[in-house]
Amino acid sequence: MFRNDRILLAATALLALIVCVVVAWEDAAPGYERYQEEFRALVAERLGPERAAAVPTGLQQIWLEEAARVDRCTSCHMGVTWKGLEDAPEPFATHPAAPLAHHPIERFGCTLCHGGQGYATDLPDAHGWVEHWEEPLIDKKLAEDYRIRDPWAFLQYRCNLCHRFDREVAGADYLNRGKRLIQDKGCRACHVINGRGGAIGPDLTRVAEKGPEQYDYSRLTTLPTLFGWHLAHLQNPKSYSPDTVMPEFGFSTEDAQSIGLVLLSWRDTRLPASLLPGAILRDVPTPEEAERERVMRHGEGKFFVEKGCFICHDVSSFGIVSATKIGPDLALAVEDAPRRFGRTVDDFLMNPSGTMAVVLAKQIPLTTEERRHAIELLEAAYRKHKENQDGSAGK
Amino acid sequence: MAEETLTRGQDGKRRLSLRDLTWSWNPATPREAGDAVVRNFLLHWFPNKVAKASIASRYSMWLGVISLFLFLNLTLTGVVLMFLYVPSVERAYGSIKDLEYAVSFGRFLRALHRISAHLMVIAVFLHMVRVFLTGAYKNGVLARQNRRLNWCLGLAMLLVTLLLSFTGYLLPWDQLAFWAVTVGTNIAKAVPVAGEAVRFVLLGGHEINQNTLIRFYVLHCVFLPMLLAGLAAWHLWRVRKDGGLAARDRVALGERQEAAPPVPSKTYMLLGIASGRAPDVQTSLVDPERHLVPAVPGLLRRLLVVALVTFAATSALAIWMGAPLEAPANPDVTPNPAKAPWYFLWLQELVTVTTVRLGGWTINGALVGGVIVPGLLLLWACAAPWLDRSGPEATGVWFHRARRRANGIFLAICVALIVLTVIGTFLRGPYWNFYWPWEAWPAHPARY
Repeated sequence: MFRNDRILLAATALLALIVCVVVAWEDAAPGYERYQEEFRALVAERLGPERAAAVPTGLQQIWLEEAARVDRCTSCHMGVTWKGLEDAPEPFATHPAAPLAHHPIERFGCTLCHGGQGYATDLPDAHGWVEHWEEPLIDKKLAEDYRIRDPWAFLQYRCNLCHRFDREVAGADYLNRGKRLIQDKGCRACHVINGRGGAIGPDLTRVAEKGPEQYDYSRLTTLPTLFGWHLAHLQNPKSYSPDTVMPEFGFSTEDAQSIGLVLLSWRDTRLPASLLPGAILRDVPTPEEAERERVMRHGEGKFFVEKGCFICHDVSSFGIVSATKIGPDLALAVEDAPRRFGRTVDDFLMNPSGTMAVVLAKQIPLTTEERRHAIELLEAAYRKHKENQDGSAGK
Repeated sequence: MAEETLTRGQDGKRRLSLRDLTWSWNPATPREAGDAVVRNFLLHWFPNKVAKASIASRYSMWLGVISLFLFLNLTLTGVVLMFLYVPSVERAYGSIKDLEYAVSFGRFLRALHRISAHLMVIAVFLHMVRVFLTGAYKNGVLARQNRRLNWCLGLAMLLVTLLLSFTGYLLPWDQLAFWAVTVGTNIAKAVPVAGEAVRFVLLGGHEINQNTLIRFYVLHCVFLPMLLAGLAAWHLWRVRKDGGLAARDRVALGERQEAAPPVPSKTYMLLGIASGRAPDVQTSLVDPERHLVPAVPGLLRRLLVVALVTFAATSALAIWMGAPLEAPANPDVTPNPAKAPWYFLWLQELVTVTTVRLGGWTINGALVGGVIVPGLLLLWACAAPWLDRSGPEATGVWFHRARRRANGIFLAICVALIVLTVIGTFLRGPYWNFYWPWEAWPAHPARY
């Protein structure tokens, strides 16, 4: 009974050792290493060995702190930001420049636009066509499946996750067409969309949050998916929900595809405002404030603003308001100067005394020409002041 | 001289030695040192000698030991996972994904932890079944045994094991976790009077949220493991106090009946416990030559085998099966069907079976199926040792004739629980409809 124990112990120890080796072996060879070697060879061949030496190794990731995402796509798709690999085979090709110009990869990553599972480091998990991943990579096969002419049209639905309040998005033809149709056909007559619209049909603002399992696919002859249902239903509402009062609009296939892509995008997007287009992250002036600023910058008295006089002086009749009001209102200078200094305003400005002597000598040096112009303006301001006074007195 | 101090020099002065850095206490006399050794639990994990019957795998099947090693395994992997997991609603799911894809050995660690947890529930349950069927909760022939208490401790540990597994279930914060805990805590709501309050305290509010996550996390990582460790120590200490496994009582009883030759006695002069004339003590009720072997290496070697097999088996299963991770938790989308963790599915099944619809009226089965039935079962299990009237000859033996009825009832209940669990786990599909394994569930449609 006990003689066998030693053999048993040795055997189980060996078994445990084998298991440890298997565990170590499973962990030691990540799938992206092969791609990184291939990429290095490709760069060496096309761009020279010095560039190849700069190819990074190990896990690559873009961590988007703002969006709380991590995209490890670049562990294999190494050429995304390299110039000169535009025609290289995937996964090494350079990304087209236009979309990246407004969406720098270090701020937006990959999966926000493309879908896919950014966390993953192997296939097929990374492309996300796996169970329990609800945002798989948008690929050309999708366009084939739904017979969409533009192979990348499907990507446009991802654009609209952020651009849903933009009427037009450059380069997103399907999206723009879909939105135009939604306006033109008056969908809001029956549906609430983004907080506005009628109550006959369901609210569509978050329509894509509704799970695909909540639709009835029994009458569908095409792909039994949420998008497939929308395509069929848009073209022929009564065939897919018999009790509906939604009219048939005679949408073409492309119309339906365009609207369907927009519908697919109407869901919650939880991103910080700094990443969303059209979010106002600055101090916007009210219309009154904007008008006041326009009068000051471009009105009759713009000379006083350009030269900096307005820092201390109001010029009330020209609508120039000083924040500090250190000096007197210049609209009254013509009658003010004789009272204060016993001199006319032109005399004073040509030969200033006191504080103004220091200011005009050091801070606001004016040529004789400019001083003459200033005197004319001051007289005009006084005339306008008088007119205003008479006008209000006349009333 | 018995009073001679251990750490004083010839001059009687206290000397500072290296020992003082690692030992906070120095015994003043040999007797104190002896007492300390006798009292030290860790030095008494093992008896000096164990009965061959006790370490025969066909008797205990090592299920308690396997449970202990699984717990050890879970503690070790769990501590490492604590360095990597973030218990926040925003980060929890992402940190699990990182474990799966970016952390060295992360996927293995998580799978090992998960599979060990599932197996521990099974092992602890089977251990209980073994103890019942061998009548090992009964006192035998030794004095001052209290195996009934140890049986109740074991039941408490089974409950703590279930709670540990359940609290761990929520932590990945995926759909599986969120909805399993929703179902589980909704059953708790059916407890009369206190139900709503119990659920509120457990969730830290009325819905599963950050408060729930942090509560479950602390329960899972700190409170429950410490509780289980304390109970396990008590349980094992009682096993030693009760004279080892019940199988040994059976050997002793047999020895008595066949009027064996007198067993040798031993004189205790050890450790200075007594000086001068020492009492003669009968060391064993069984003949050591025939029935006992030294614990080292006899017991030790087999424990090592069990530990290694447990480790190898859980690791192999971890690599083979991995650990599931579904879509991130989404309170708006209920998966269909939403299932509790598998070890509670017999409860969920009971709830369904006992839910009665009469016309427009529905009598919810949560009270009967979720509270009363399991409560009665637990009460009966606790009372079982006191209800058992069989004699000591039925202790420590599989399926003794005197306990035929008790074993029958117990087995019937176990089989019922297992059948309900299997139905709930494998045969229930969308809307809790019954599906045979060869029947396909309706396909889950995709977005595109």
